[in-house]
Amino acid sequence: MIGHLIAAAPHEEDPSQTHHWLWPEGYEILFGGLASLMIFALLWWKAGPLLKKGMAARTQRIQDELDGAAGALSSAEAEASKIREAKGDIEAERQRMLADADAQAEALLTDGRARLDAEVADLDAKADADIVSASSRVSDELRGEIGRMAAAAAERVVRSTLDDDTQQRLIEDYIARVGASA
Amino acid sequence: MSTDARIDGYARALFEIARAEGTLDEVEDELFRFARSYESSDELRNALTDDQIPAAKRQSIVEDLLGGGNATPTTIQLVSMVVGSGRGRDLPAIIDRLVQRAANAKNLEVAEVRSAVELSDDQVERLKAALANAIGKNVNVKVIVDPAVLGGLVATVGDTVIDGTVRTALDQLKSRL
Repeated sequence: MIGHLIAAAPHEEDPSQTHHWLWPEGYEILFGGLASLMIFALLWWKAGPLLKKGMAARTQRIQDELDGAAGALSSAEAEASKIREAKGDIEAERQRMLADADAQAEALLTDGRARLDAEVADLDAKADADIVSASSRVSDELRGEIGRMAAAAAERVVRSTLDDDTQQRLIEDYIARVGASA
Repeated sequence: MSTDARIDGYARALFEIARAEGTLDEVEDELFRFARSYESSDELRNALTDDQIPAAKRQSIVEDLLGGGNATPTTIQLVSMVVGSGRGRDLPAIIDRLVQRAANAKNLEVAEVRSAVELSDDQVERLKAALANAIGKNVNVKVIVDPAVLGGLVATVGDTVIDGTVRTALDQLKSRL
């Protein structure tokens, strides 16, 4: 019965309901579209420059950052170049120092060898001279000793022969020699 | 007064005294011998030059040495005088100057002759003649007995030396050896 009642009841239109479950009403689309256009136009008119300006500023900032990065990259590359150059210089300097050290060591070695050779030659010469000198000295000493011994022996012999007759003969010889020397 | 002038003064005084006494030759000869003994004996030299010994004691030493007929009284007195006056150190120089003065007075050169043994009077006379012949001047020979010469004679007349000693011959032999 109830069903019949419901079914028999006249259908009244609900103003909150549209004719289509998806699409609004035509006037709503019209007015909504116009309102939207107005809002967009207003936004374009008022917010557009600000937005444009902000975008430009951002673009500039990004560009600046890009430029700064490029400058930093350039500086870094220059620094890297300098470092590479310095590294090359250091290597060259190291090579030069090593070459100098080698040259000095070689010169020292050569000089040391020459000096050593000279000293050895000097020592040889001195040793030879010392040997000759010692030989000569020993020979001289031996000769001197022989001379002293011979002289002492001669004196002993002479003293033993100097009796009174010999003394008188020596005196007479002296007188005769002096007297004849006029 | 310098030492040289003092020596000359003493020599002149001794010379005049000896000449006045008329014993110049004897005194000169004795003094010469005494001087040589003085030079060769350290003991005698020390005794006669020691200031700690009284002059009278030094003079008595001289009288003991030269007394007993070893020298004339004049010689003894002259040496005593020099020693007593404290000039013992200058005694050889004074005597040499006296001998030189005596030789000059007689126009003679002094010939100092060293021999290992005493020479006889004959040998002295012949040596005197030989030296005079050799140097062209008369000489007053003063003989000194010096065993160091070993044998032979060496005569010194002024700067001239005539050497004939065994000592010198041996020295030359040593040099050659």
